Amino acid sequence: MANAFVAAFEILSFGAIIVLIVLGLGIIASMMGIFNFAQGEFVLLGAYITYLAYAKGLPIWTGMVAAPFLVGALGFVLEALIIRRFYAAPIVAMLGTYALGLIIRESVRGLIGGFYLTVPEPIGGSIDIGTMHISAWRFTIIVITLLVMVGCYLLLSRTNFGLRMRATLENPSLARASGISTPLMYGATFAFGSALAGLAGALIVPVFSLYADLGIRFLIQGFVAVMVGGVGSFIGPVAGAGVIGTLSAALPWVMAPVVADVLVFVLAIAFIKFRPQGLIAGKGV
Amino acid sequence: MPKSMGAVKQAIPAEIGGETDIVMDNSGAAPQVAAGRKVLPIVEGVVLVAALAAPLVLQDYLTVFATRVIILALFALSFDLVWGYAGIMSFGQALFFGSAGYGVALLARDLDITNIFLVLPAGTVIGLTFSLLLGGFLLLGRHPSSVIFVSLGTLTGSYAADRLARGWYYLGGQNGIPSISSMTLGGYEFSEGPPFYYLVLGILIVVYLLCRFLVRSQFGLALAGLRENEQRIAFFGYKAQHLKAIIFAVGGAIAGLAGSLYAFHEGFVWPNMVGVVVSTQVVLYVLFGGSGTLIGAVIGAVIVEGVSFWLSDNYRDIWPIILGLLLLLVILFRPLGLISFVLGERERVGSFGAKAKGSIKEKRNAP
Repeated sequence: MANAFVAAFEILSFGAIIVLIVLGLGIIASMMGIFNFAQGEFVLLGAYITYLAYAKGLPIWTGMVAAPFLVGALGFVLEALIIRRFYAAPIVAMLGTYALGLIIRESVRGLIGGFYLTVPEPIGGSIDIGTMHISAWRFTIIVITLLVMVGCYLLLSRTNFGLRMRATLENPSLARASGISTPLMYGATFAFGSALAGLAGALIVPVFSLYADLGIRFLIQGFVAVMVGGVGSFIGPVAGAGVIGTLSAALPWVMAPVVADVLVFVLAIAFIKFRPQGLIAGKGV
Repeated sequence: MPKSMGAVKQAIPAEIGGETDIVMDNSGAAPQVAAGRKVLPIVEGVVLVAALAAPLVLQDYLTVFATRVIILALFALSFDLVWGYAGIMSFGQALFFGSAGYGVALLARDLDITNIFLVLPAGTVIGLTFSLLLGGFLLLGRHPSSVIFVSLGTLTGSYAADRLARGWYYLGGQNGIPSISSMTLGGYEFSEGPPFYYLVLGILIVVYLLCRFLVRSQFGLALAGLRENEQRIAFFGYKAQHLKAIIFAVGGAIAGLAGSLYAFHEGFVWPNMVGVVVSTQVVLYVLFGGSGTLIGAVIGAVIVEGVSFWLSDNYRDIWPIILGLLLLLVILFRPLGLISFVLGERERVGSFGAKAKGSIKEKRNAP
């Protein structure tokens, strides 16, 4: 019983991490039609900013709060300078964002050297339920992920900003005709997606420690999750992330980890092949 | 298929000549070369002479390096066929390169097979098999697959293979398979040095000529059409998905050949060889050199590897950053690669057969 509970918690917490990372990726892919290869590096930057705050002696949570804003600002600038040119061509966008990611990743690698740098958990210790102990920080990540998910959903579906965003992404020319500044909305969407990646990086760095390939590790899982969930909506990629995250965390409990690792990808690709629209089809929130 | 090819033979050149805007998006910067002047054969000739002369002027350790570059150029060629001609973004080309490398490494390790006439065909067949399987799965089917799906599917395949190779004890896990014995021909052992170089160069030339013949045939014309406008090619009656699967398999076979040469030249294989790192590397070569020209892929491989070798002594840490910046600049301002500085748009599109040549010229020269 206790074992099963711990397993369930592990699976849930890993699922939450994948959802957190995929949120930004999914928003950019669904709303803008760009598969952002630099998303992993935005995660890395978020993690790096948190580490910097810790290394400078500031409380860790200041870094965690600053990370989404700084990374979001960077995303906004990059969108205006570079990403904007790629909208017409999805493949070129992949290559261009890959190049961007390469620059960021290697710069960070140069800054931190080839090390694994650890950042302590801002909320340490464990939560005890009877005889079972679960990590307090992982529990916090689950809670924050839920809050962020709900927040994003409300932002996109209930606010004026969300409405403008969806209008721009669904029908740019009509949105322009209605007086919405579409370039600004694209910039804001990309910045928002980047900020979510920054937040994800800041939150997971105590769990995985900081190294240059931190972002890459999750990038392909993220892409697969977006495709499985279905491009075009907000809910789709989140659902896909839940499925992929849960599968990748759960399968190693029942079979050899190597086989499980590969099996998740094979299953996902096969699923997408036979259901290209993904789990949740259609546009909207 | 030959029937339908005959029927559309006249129509396609007219389309290509008439609609310059579909040739390649944002390629306004291509130089306008005077009609009839051919730059491509000159470039090819220069590269060939340079490649033939290289071991004579280079020191031994540089010849070893040059051999590796030639093998990678062969690999780049396979990607150029798939991306530059058919417009299939294969982000997992290393899967075929690396699996063939692993395959021949296992042949050498477990069965003591190192005969060149056995291992090279074996590597080619491994590459062909994997690319047939993956390409068949990703590209064929009732509904045509989206470009995004194919590119992410190949990327995922390569990544999964990397993870598998890392975790599988039989394949050596993280360390790969070290100290593969040399490739043999009868009693002769191919070790690093000029003979290996010329062997690899000979193979590259043969494969290059085959590819050149292929892309200038009617088949190549249909592929170029696919790249520019897939729907139109489908409306002409071609089975667009089949054409794609065929060229993907050919590309996989060439990548397999390159991978088996690489395994024997380096003497070891390791998980990166099937993974995302090498997959993206080959994309870099072709983007730098210029896609859709064949020779551009070769030049790109030589330049990227050459500069990286040259800089790696002093600037090992910042070289990847420079590479990223250069790549970004090329994508933004030179989408057709470095070769577009000397090669005109018309030559890149290519001319097909005597009749076709005439009709393109007429169209272009019309006021």
